[in-house]
Amino acid sequence: MWNAKKSVLLSLIFTRIVMVLVVGVAVLAPKMVEAYLEYTSKGAEGFGLLLGTVYVCCVLALVALFSLDRLLTNIRMSHVFLEGNVRYLRRLSWCCFLAALVLLPAAFSAQGLFVVVVAAGFIGLILRVVKNVIEEAVILKSENDLTI
Amino acid sequence: MAIIVNLDVIMAKRKKSAGDLATEIGITPANLSILKNNKAKAVRFSTLEELCRVLDCQPGDILEYVKDEDK
Repeated sequence: MWNAKKSVLLSLIFTRIVMVLVVGVAVLAPKMVEAYLEYTSKGAEGFGLLLGTVYVCCVLALVALFSLDRLLTNIRMSHVFLEGNVRYLRRLSWCCFLAALVLLPAAFSAQGLFVVVVAAGFIGLILRVVKNVIEEAVILKSENDLTI
Repeated sequence: MAIIVNLDVIMAKRKKSAGDLATEIGITPANLSILKNNKAKAVRFSTLEELCRVLDCQPGDILEYVKDEDK
């Protein structure tokens, strides 16, 4: 029977699979950037900048995925309203904002990236609001726990 | 904390153990410990009522206001 515990476990498995994929992308990044530049016939002058952008995004993605992993692990143990979870959500939100910022210069040469920039910024904003909600919930829970 | 819970004083006067008091008022010993050690942020009227009933006292015997010098 499908339940919340299994759903969290599935999310955790997906998170770890994406972690492996991000590491794979980082390893294959030079070849992928080279192939992209060749495909778009943009020449090799933007290679370093694009490769740097991909690496920075990979680092941000790994930080975000690690935070997501910790968050899901805490939720799996029924520890939802914790200061630590607020910290992980804050980190996730900042990773999205930073990814949007890092991708912004690249979006001027590859216009399709503007969609990713806007999406990352919007997700960062949503996560920030969720963080604010959880932060308030942590305070309320602490008050409730200490009401005898 | 400006409100002090003097539960241990009144418990000693009535010769009540923490375990017995917790059972009689229907809260866990862990929650009674939070209350006794002034860690509680709020006390429900129902809990205060039970405390007063079991310990045969007034709310003022349990709770005391001490002026906070920092505020």
